[in-house]
Amino acid sequence: MNWGYFASPATFYRLAGWMAPWWFVIAVVLGIAGLYVGFVVAPTDAQQGEVYRVIFIHVPAAWMSMFIYFVMACYGGVSLTFNTRMAAMMARALAPTGAMFTFVALWTGSFWGRPTWGTYWVWDARITSELVLLFLYIGFIALANAFEDPRRGDRASALLALIGLVNLPIIYFSVHWWNTLHQGSTVKLTGTSMHVAMLWGMLLMAFSFWAYAIGAALVRARAIILERERRTQWVRELAAT
Amino acid sequence: MNALLAGHAMRAPHASFGSGFAWAFRRDIALAWRHPGETMLVVAFFVLVASLFPLGIGAESQILARIGPGVIWVCALLSAFLSLPGLFAGDYADGSLEQMTLSPHPMSGWASGKIAAHWVSSGLPLTMLSPLIGLQYGLTLDTLGVLAAALAIGTPVLSLLGAACTALALGARGGGMLLALLALPLFVPVLVFGAGAAEAQATGLSPSPHLSILGAGLILAVLALPSAVCAAIRIALD
Amino acid sequence: MDHTFYLAMSYAATAIAMAAEIIALRLRRARALAAVEEERDLETQD
Repeated sequence: MNWGYFASPATFYRLAGWMAPWWFVIAVVLGIAGLYVGFVVAPTDAQQGEVYRVIFIHVPAAWMSMFIYFVMACYGGVSLTFNTRMAAMMARALAPTGAMFTFVALWTGSFWGRPTWGTYWVWDARITSELVLLFLYIGFIALANAFEDPRRGDRASALLALIGLVNLPIIYFSVHWWNTLHQGSTVKLTGTSMHVAMLWGMLLMAFSFWAYAIGAALVRARAIILERERRTQWVRELAAT
Repeated sequence: MNALLAGHAMRAPHASFGSGFAWAFRRDIALAWRHPGETMLVVAFFVLVASLFPLGIGAESQILARIGPGVIWVCALLSAFLSLPGLFAGDYADGSLEQMTLSPHPMSGWASGKIAAHWVSSGLPLTMLSPLIGLQYGLTLDTLGVLAAALAIGTPVLSLLGAACTALALGARGGGMLLALLALPLFVPVLVFGAGAAEAQATGLSPSPHLSILGAGLILAVLALPSAVCAAIRIALD
Repeated sequence: MDHTFYLAMSYAATAIAMAAEIIALRLRRARALAAVEEERDLETQD
């Protein structure tokens, strides 16, 4: 299979063009299902009452913030190894969405923390590393745009993303290493102690966010392609139509 | 002068990591010795800022002793950060960096040598001064010892991380602010464990988990970051 | 402060963040297309 075909911006532009709307449709459908399960099916929590329902945003957003960073770093690695433009553009396309989810995770965590544990903010291990993740995203975007030559920005930010990967295990394992605010993980690969409906609500919202992220990244990648390839023939003809 | 020194490297008979390291280390130490202003500034900044806190907060010994480890660590971190631009800027500007890249020595050798020399002229003096600063905060001797140990392990990690960020941002718009945005988030884990070690000692707990993780971080940094620095320099010179 | 406030702040912030992102994306695309047009017009002028 000629993967090089998909690495061409022109091909990617068309492909992303018809795919993106469908990803948003999937996101909306899964989101409605998730919110239904989260608010109608899932019962009131014995200790926290109704406010626990923030987890249907907070946990999926946190998962996405880490997952998107990982994918972004992978695209960065690919772009450095194979010196491809398209991979670098995908990394740039993912960063703002990742930053958005990181902010949402921090914000919703803060508003969950106040009624439940009495404080809007605490410097526990996981919250602090999530904040560091937000700054890594911002640093990535800043570095990528800090040079006249966009290729230099591509390479520098890709390397930065790879260096910052070490933060992900810290976020993930911090709840095991420190006994602070965040409880030990409730959702493991082997099973969960959580009520089934709550789990399903979280999973549906997570997949909804995932579909949204793909859609948003594809749309942004198309804009980046237009910006970067604006001197090529095919882009010129595109704008003429 | 720099060109002459670079030329000497190119004629060296055995081009290896070790010889490249030794050459760059000696060169940068000699340069720092001849122009001690940079090192003096780093040390002076550290002492000044660390002394500002007791002045601002008032000499209430309990509060000072409580915040001492963290504050001293933050001051050391900021001082180390301020010394970062000088690591590659001079060589980048006068072309020595390109010449060194063309030398037969493997790049990781001389890059590591530069970073080691940078640590000797910034992190090491900070570590050695930290007990004196700690006395200002009324820290006990055992806490001072752990603090110095944590700084001794942590400041090389800061130099390595800082070198990678500096190389990435060479010649970028946004200068110092961009470097701060890149480096300070990466410094945070070092700060958390370094200050945590001293604080643990101060509250009677064992500092060894913190120091062990710092040590592991140092090993990881020494193994992985020199290649990242080299990659970043190559990106900058393309 | 009853719990509805905290739930509302969380869900509202998320909705606003996503809406803001979508709007920003549309603006970016519009600007990119405008830049392409401009480049093309400049070239035909030469």
